[in-house]
Amino acid sequence: MTAMVDVAFLLLIFFMSTTQFKPPEQVSVTLPESGSEIKVPATGLIVLTVNKQGEVFIGDESGATAAVPKGELNQAILNMRTRRPLAHIIVKGDRAADFGAISDVMDALQETETNRFNLMTEARADRGD
Amino acid sequence: MAEVETKEREAKGGTGLRRPKRRTGVRQDMTPMVDIAFLLLIFFMVTTVFRTPQAMEVNLPPDESVEVPESNVMTVYVDRNSQLSYRMGTGPLLPIQRKDLRRQFQDQARLNPDLIILVKVDRKAKYEDMVNMMDELEFANMERFSLVELTPQEAEELMGMQ
Repeated sequence: MTAMVDVAFLLLIFFMSTTQFKPPEQVSVTLPESGSEIKVPATGLIVLTVNKQGEVFIGDESGATAAVPKGELNQAILNMRTRRPLAHIIVKGDRAADFGAISDVMDALQETETNRFNLMTEARADRGD
Repeated sequence: MAEVETKEREAKGGTGLRRPKRRTGVRQDMTPMVDIAFLLLIFFMVTTVFRTPQAMEVNLPPDESVEVPESNVMTVYVDRNSQLSYRMGTGPLLPIQRKDLRRQFQDQARLNPDLIILVKVDRKAKYEDMVNMMDELEFANMERFSLVELTPQEAEELMGMQ
């Protein structure tokens, strides 16, 4: 029994030290699934969140976000990029959001010459075949 | 397990007035501690997230238009009810299921290596539809495609078809 307790504590310490609690999310988003295999980097992100209702939020990887009023998206993206020029741009859209809302965000990115960005998705186990 | 060996204390002074008390081994019940340990273990195992979110790479071209012959264009429509249909060049509009899409892309690309895929999505369609579409294109090794919104007229036309 001592051996079992030892192992249990070892595992306990391992999981306690490796657990990283997710930063509390201000905007809850259910990500769509994709077969893409690129990992989202953990730091240096500009996250554009689009919720189910199509509202847009801008923030960083810490989960802190600020709502962006309609029509001020271009300016918000430019501000954020000037502040953090090396950050990756991630679009985090809810799977049930209207395509129009995402399309507007992508248009704004194109207008601000942010031609390279990533769409955050959840891993899909199968490839659909 | 948890026996603590206690050495019997030698009687001091050696007068032998009191016989040293025979101590039995102390038994410590470890069950509650083990219970707590396992409880915490299970908690941390369950809450640990190993799966980090994935990313799809998007590279937008600089804002400029390119002219392509219509015969090289395959247009895939996604309407607001997530129904798919496609059209080759100026051909008739044909409905298609999502699972047949990949095969269709591959077949058409084999027939025409210059094929350009145009994905037209209704503004009221879901974002998930768009991601699924991009996924299918990626599986079919179509790295280059064009994604546009349906004009209101086209959207009406599509809805009228059903």
